[in-house]
Amino acid sequence: MDLVWSNMPFLLKGAYYTLLITIVSMFFGSIIAVFVAIARLKGNWLIRWIARAYVSIIRGTPTLVQIIIVYYGLVDYGLKLEPLMAAYIALSISIGAYLSETLRGAIQAIPKGQYEAAYASGMTPFQTMTRIILPQAIRIAIPPAGNTFIGMLKETSLVSVITVTELLRQAQLLIAQYYVYMPFYLAIAVMYWIMSTVFAILLERLEKRLSKYE
Amino acid sequence: MIKIKQLTKHFGKQEVLKGINLQIQAGEVVAILGPSGSGKSTLLRCLNGLEQMTYGGIEISGVKVDANQKQREINKKFRNIRLHTGMVFQQFNLYPHKTAIQNVIEALLIVKKISKEQALLKGEKLLARVGLLDKKDEYPSRLSGGQQQRVAIARALAMEPDILFFDEPTSALDPELVDEVLMVIKELAKEGMTMVIVTHEMEFARDVADRIIFMADGSIIEESVPEEFFVKPKTERAKKFLKIL
Repeated sequence: MDLVWSNMPFLLKGAYYTLLITIVSMFFGSIIAVFVAIARLKGNWLIRWIARAYVSIIRGTPTLVQIIIVYYGLVDYGLKLEPLMAAYIALSISIGAYLSETLRGAIQAIPKGQYEAAYASGMTPFQTMTRIILPQAIRIAIPPAGNTFIGMLKETSLVSVITVTELLRQAQLLIAQYYVYMPFYLAIAVMYWIMSTVFAILLERLEKRLSKYE
Repeated sequence: MIKIKQLTKHFGKQEVLKGINLQIQAGEVVAILGPSGSGKSTLLRCLNGLEQMTYGGIEISGVKVDANQKQREINKKFRNIRLHTGMVFQQFNLYPHKTAIQNVIEALLIVKKISKEQALLKGEKLLARVGLLDKKDEYPSRLSGGQQQRVAIARALAMEPDILFFDEPTSALDPELVDEVLMVIKELAKEGMTMVIVTHEMEFARDVADRIIFMADGSIIEESVPEEFFVKPKTERAKKFLKIL
């Protein structure tokens, strides 16, 4: 246990990267999700088809394989990414697919009358989407998206395989140094749990604030 | 002000509007009556392009649209028409994530792009006009159906339309809330607003309308002033309709 405490700064640095990767991927994943969801609903056949293929491929393959392809696979084409950059890209693309499905469902849940009211008042389809439909859809999507985010926090442990020094990787490095397993693994498990719980509480608050009009 | 020529509308193979011809003058209040399924709501929704006509054409506030124009052209024309018309829906369709006043001023801000101060001033005036200034910061979910519909009327008025369309504005309301909405519409009629109202409220139609359009099976089958329509309707269909009600 003393070993854990004395190496806490090292582990905290790992936790910092875990959080950083989660937040950055969530951010870019959300942007991807908005475009993909709208593409699937409003695009012409080609755009719809591309968006569908993207979602199908990402959801049908393991995140670990996606990470490895981005980091090790792209090297074959002369694209050598920094581990952290590869983690951002792979996880953003991955979470974007899941979130786009959530958002698509939420957009479809908005009654037709909302579009009609907006159109009737002279708004363009773009204004209707950005001002009327998306703000409502995002509120609907937040609870399920929150679960995806918490899942994401845990999935960041996968990028330890491409040498990103996130929480799991840091623990493994310490284990290699001290040959003690359980205390470090338990310590990071507790740290993951604390981070997930804090996320969950923050999400709950956000949900409450956004649902004030209900 | 409104000219409708040979307006025809199909849903799939079914012809729901069969060559409608109609003209409406500025300042006129026209009530469209008829059994459900007669095409009256569809006709109204064709006028601002919420439904796409199959054949024929319309002209509203000087903007002419014809069903055989290119889709892009038609869309552009209807966006123009929508700047001259307002619509009030059966289900109100207020934006649930915006307060009463935000509902009223939304299009002012993003379509007309006037300043927020000006928009708020105007929004407050309009809410006062429908008797809801004290509810301006409430979300729609906190308002009764009648109040929501009055906010929806204020929202439609905000764009200073030449014409207001009402699509069964009281059909979704509890009976005791109907009058407050009808009062507002009557007030607008007195002020000379041009209105086309699809309704099931016979007494109200008789009271407020300058002209009654009676539709059945996708056609206008009777057109007359209220006193005539309600006292001695010409067609069997209208007689039956009035008796049933």
